[in-house]
Amino acid sequence: MKQILVFWPSFLVAGIAEMVFFTVMDPQQLYLFGQPVDFSPIATYSIGFFGFWLVCAASSMLTVFFQRSADDINRL
Amino acid sequence: MTNPAPQPIKIVPSKKSAPLEGQEGSLYEARKKIYVRAISGAFTNWRWILVWVTQLLYYGLPWLQWNGRQAVLFHLVERKFYIFGWVFWPQDVFFLAILLIISAYALFFFTAVAGRLWCGYACPQTVYTEIFLWIEEKIEGDRNKRMKLDKAPMDARKFRIKASKHAIWVAVALWTGFTFVAYFTPLKELLGAFSPFTFGGWEIFWILFYGAFTYFFAGIMREQVCKYMCPYARFQGVMFDPDTLVITYDEERGEPRGARKKGVDPASVSKGDCVDCGICVQVCPTGIDIRDGLQYECIGCAACIDACDQVMDKMDYPRGLIRYSTENAIKKHWGRKEIVGHVMRPRTLIYGGILAVVCLAFVWGLATREPLRMDIIRDRATLSREVAGGYIENVYQLQIMNMTEAPRNFDVTVDGLEGIRISDFDGKIEVAPATMQAVTLRVQVPVDTGEPGSSNVIHFEIKASDDPSVGVREASTFLLPR
Repeated sequence: MKQILVFWPSFLVAGIAEMVFFTVMDPQQLYLFGQPVDFSPIATYSIGFFGFWLVCAASSMLTVFFQRSADDINRL
Repeated sequence: MTNPAPQPIKIVPSKKSAPLEGQEGSLYEARKKIYVRAISGAFTNWRWILVWVTQLLYYGLPWLQWNGRQAVLFHLVERKFYIFGWVFWPQDVFFLAILLIISAYALFFFTAVAGRLWCGYACPQTVYTEIFLWIEEKIEGDRNKRMKLDKAPMDARKFRIKASKHAIWVAVALWTGFTFVAYFTPLKELLGAFSPFTFGGWEIFWILFYGAFTYFFAGIMREQVCKYMCPYARFQGVMFDPDTLVITYDEERGEPRGARKKGVDPASVSKGDCVDCGICVQVCPTGIDIRDGLQYECIGCAACIDACDQVMDKMDYPRGLIRYSTENAIKKHWGRKEIVGHVMRPRTLIYGGILAVVCLAFVWGLATREPLRMDIIRDRATLSREVAGGYIENVYQLQIMNMTEAPRNFDVTVDGLEGIRISDFDGKIEVAPATMQAVTLRVQVPVDTGEPGSSNVIHFEIKASDDPSVGVREASTFLLPR
């Protein structure tokens, strides 16, 4: 169930981040490595969402990782 | 005589909370599958009414047409939200923010008044679990049959039953996913993509993704979503106070609980009204015992009220051993009148007051929303230059958004400096329905007007040709060489 702790809060935050980001940014005005993004808008939105999710999940994963008690670590 | 050496304390995990292999026991206890017993009654009827209302809305809205287009469409590609007569642009994010504030305060308000009404009746998690449970009950049978079936070894019959249940679940989930995508991509395009099969990759992906979420949340995870994944369940307690209506077991009346024959006066066997039948536990979708008091797992679905009322009827005892009541009411033996009298209290008045103000602001904002918007960008590449005839020229780009769904003509004027004019321009712009039109204007002033530098304020004004009351006026600066 640790997976839930990693993937669920990050999913919620990614949803909010996606909304805020793409309200402000038009996907067609984005640049990727100096080139205008030429994916379809749906693809950009989708990739954006999973990008946010991934970043947030990494943060959650670190939280879970640092949450281990001294006992958990010593036992290794 | 020697004392025996002290034995090291052995921690024997209780069976209930034995952690699964490889799981962190302190986080989650191993889940015992909950077999929810179906129940009928007033609150169950309310839950079903809400299932129908919310799902007719959810599945039905994408099919509605308005002005020859989909009535409700959050068109991501066009970056426009169509909601009946309105077209919202990213610039209208203000309304979205207000809507979120309204939702939050509505949640606070209703929670303060009557606990988790949202969770018990309207939350999609509750609604879809209700639908999936209903399918399960229709196919696998009632609670006892389901438990028996799960214990039985896999054979052809069990496989057939399980497979048909999952098949129907998957079908409902896929339809839910399809509907979800239809809010963001026009339904007509989606329907057209069925034959020949020309779905875009991302559309298929999102249908499957949302469908899978529905299937797992409503079919498999169920109460675990509420217990472990829902943020609201965690902070609900903040909004509760002793006058909040919650589902309460009347301990004073019920205890000591115990079995007895039908129609026996509880006092004659020195027992309370609770016959300890355990049905309130069996019907609970989160598997708790309401008789242990208010718990954060309780989603306020009131299934236990319906269950207990049925039992009380059978026993010829008055209803309401489990009922909506408040902490104060139980303690002070209040009747309905006192409970209702305490609904109005500072907490609810503040929540309600803010809610009302924000709702008014929303309605007022919508009613007075200009169906027109203009952004002015001064061309920074050319700055100012002298042109023939003794004029200084600045170049501006006007972005004019026509938010109505009809083409519209606008008159464009500029003022602020003496002799200011727009070169090669007849002052009229036509903007197509619900589009943004960019127009580049070369604005000129005679050489001897204004102050050198960028302190010259000018105003662009646009007015709808058919309705001069629709217009906007925006300021910009005119740059003059030093």
